[in-house]
Amino acid sequence: MATKYLDIFLKEAEEHIGSLQNRLLVLEKEPGNKVLIHDLLRNAHTLKGSARMLGFEDISVIAHRMEDFLKEMEDGERAVDSAGVDLLLQGTDAINRMTDALAKGAPSPIDLEKFIAAFDSGGSTAEAITTQESGEAETQIDTVRTSVKTLDSLVNLLGELIINKKRFEDKTSDLKEICRESDGMDNLARLKDFHRNLEEDVLYLGFIIQQLHAEAMALRMLPLKTITDGYVRMVRDLSKSQGKEVNFEIVGDHIEVDRILLESLKPMFLHMLTNAVDHGIELPEERVARGKPRAGTIRLTARHEGNSVAIEIRDDGAGMDPHRIKQTALRRGVIDREEAEMMRDEEALYLTLRQGFSTSEIVTDISGRGVGMDVVKMSIEKVKGNLTLKSEVGAYTEVQLQLPLTLAVIDALIVTCAEQPFAIPLSYVQETIKIRAEDISTVAGKEVISVRNSTVPLISLAGLLGLQEQKALISGGKVSAVILKQRDQAVACIIDRNNGTSEIVVKSLGGQLKRVRHTFGATILGDGNPALILDVPDIFTTSEGVSSVDMRKAIHESQIRASRGSVLVVDDSITTRTMEKSILTAHGYDVTIAISAEDALEKVATAAFDLVISDVEMPGLNGFQLTARLRAMEEYREVPVIIVSSLSKDEHKRQAMEAGAQAYIVKGAFEQGTLLDTVESLIG
Amino acid sequence: MADNRTYDIRSILEEMRQEYWQGLAESEESPEELLECVTFTLGGETYAFETIHASEVIRVPKLVKVPGVQQLIVGIFNLRGEIIAAVDIRSLLGIPSPQLTAGARIIVIKRDGFTTGIITEGVQGVVALPLEMFEPVVKSVAAGAREFIRGQINHDGRMAMLLDIVRLLESPELTVNHD
Repeated sequence: MATKYLDIFLKEAEEHIGSLQNRLLVLEKEPGNKVLIHDLLRNAHTLKGSARMLGFEDISVIAHRMEDFLKEMEDGERAVDSAGVDLLLQGTDAINRMTDALAKGAPSPIDLEKFIAAFDSGGSTAEAITTQESGEAETQIDTVRTSVKTLDSLVNLLGELIINKKRFEDKTSDLKEICRESDGMDNLARLKDFHRNLEEDVLYLGFIIQQLHAEAMALRMLPLKTITDGYVRMVRDLSKSQGKEVNFEIVGDHIEVDRILLESLKPMFLHMLTNAVDHGIELPEERVARGKPRAGTIRLTARHEGNSVAIEIRDDGAGMDPHRIKQTALRRGVIDREEAEMMRDEEALYLTLRQGFSTSEIVTDISGRGVGMDVVKMSIEKVKGNLTLKSEVGAYTEVQLQLPLTLAVIDALIVTCAEQPFAIPLSYVQETIKIRAEDISTVAGKEVISVRNSTVPLISLAGLLGLQEQKALISGGKVSAVILKQRDQAVACIIDRNNGTSEIVVKSLGGQLKRVRHTFGATILGDGNPALILDVPDIFTTSEGVSSVDMRKAIHESQIRASRGSVLVVDDSITTRTMEKSILTAHGYDVTIAISAEDALEKVATAAFDLVISDVEMPGLNGFQLTARLRAMEEYREVPVIIVSSLSKDEHKRQAMEAGAQAYIVKGAFEQGTLLDTVESLIG
Repeated sequence: MADNRTYDIRSILEEMRQEYWQGLAESEESPEELLECVTFTLGGETYAFETIHASEVIRVPKLVKVPGVQQLIVGIFNLRGEIIAAVDIRSLLGIPSPQLTAGARIIVIKRDGFTTGIITEGVQGVVALPLEMFEPVVKSVAAGAREFIRGQINHDGRMAMLLDIVRLLESPELTVNHD
């Protein structure tokens, strides 16, 4: 037979099987719905006809039996009850298994005779299934997977475009700067015009990219419904097998999330829903005795929350008992007695997420395999989401998941730490603050700070990552820190600098660096260089028992230095300025850095420096021009300027003096002593 | 069927004849087997490996350090949107590591799902080296390094070491997996 016809049949069958399943579940709740029964009849009838036409006799026979069965229901000859619906669902399952086998070219997994016999007697048809398929066959998502590759590459290219746009924006602002400084130049009007036009073009480019990005992202999105539908059946079967009555409600399943996220949501949903049925919802008699309705309710709610999706799974069952959880955790050796006593009830709930924990007293068939909520925790961390647990004993349990909409592009805070850029996903950032020495206190020898009335451990991000800490470079009596949050925990990480937030494209580190602790990938910043993206859950794990050391002292010392004199170092070479800075800082001066004469002019406008050290050859204004400009300023007329340059001719020295510099140091003869002596002789 | 298994002189002769002609044709095409290699400087000496492994040579870009990894992974860089790690294999070969100068280059190597950049003190060029001229690496070289060197050759009065680049890339020191 031509595969074309087979494909058409399989597609058609898939639709009918899907609607049979959904409609049957509704029918169980609305047994009097004649229209529904008729729709079901039509599904079964069409399936029967198509299967027969293509010679799939077995499928046709089962569909025929279901049709007869439904006909009797429609005519009132057969009661529309849970047992009947059960049987019809088994029929639907059987057909589903058979079409799956057809699609794979495998033999029929159903023993037709046995099946019909079981179906007619109203018993279980489980024995008629000859082969067990491995796992759930999610053909729908699988077929999409091939195209996801293309989509990924599309999104990747778009990422490149975004980075490129950023570069254009930077260039445009450079040009603006040039216009500002080129006062009196002949072609200034034309240059300004050019800048304006370019700015408009870049703006438009940005607009198009934004739209394109949204479209490409939409292609990767699928509604939650694609996975939640399957769980309706699972919850129903599971609760039935345990003699429980459960209403499973889904709200907001139209919300779309990234395919990759959907994939990782599957195991989470499976565990959470199984838990809700197994451990949450009580038996009907128990519920009645407690004054609750016989049937329990499990509600899955999804909604947008800013740039993320919030999903809640709430059951009105027995709730989680923090005392029992603590005891179980103690017994399993997850915590020790001391820890148990100190632990708040809300914290105790999270013990269930730890490895080796399972609250179930009786090992049940499905969720009692030694894996449990720790799977959920791992999955949520993998997708950079957050999980919150809430419960009241005897009333409810609520699991809240917060997920990013997509994993390809995220909002991040860019920070500098140990002179290196790092990106931190914004979903983990509470705030950034400045810390002074007096803000730091110690708890059992560990440095802590107080943030919004709670005590937070203070750590040095550089130290934690194993990078060189540069305490000597702290200046001005304060340091920057970013407060990271995860669930109800927080930690303050000391950084060099906070460079603001940015939309970043997440890239993998490639096959060579498969998994690097504390990171989950990299991004490319506007300057074209990579920056690592920090894995915050990883940082929380490592930060346990770690705190910054002597940070209070270091900050305090920088404060004292500030009184010795403040120096502005201007140099376009990172090596020179870093060297000069460390020499001066080590000797008690408070040093600020400028990377160009223009940068220096901006900095002198906002702060009063006691001394300026400048290079000569720099892009833009040179050191001589900078000196002359400083001399022209009221506040800087008398401030000493030292020129440090590789130019050694007398001509250059003369130029420096003419511009108003006090000293000239040749880089070749550059020695720590020379610089310090000169600085000391000028400002003491 | 029985015939095929018995002694069939005609088909054996035919096979021998074909082998003979094939051998003749081959020896005509390449009188000596040449290995096209990219040569570069490491620790002041010349090293080489087959050009087919090298995908491109670039200047050393800004390398961003990766915290918590072995020292020979110097950092990552951006090659047209792809993040690639740059490795300094000199420590692996146990040879001196002079400071890199402006002449330093990275040779980018692409393998299945694995792209990496080998940092060199400079790339000399591409030469065809006669395979038979290679001699086994001298025993005075440490065993750990000998593992990655297939042999040495005296080429135009200079010694060149042929690296076993495939083996080198497979060495666990080159990858990171903190799982």
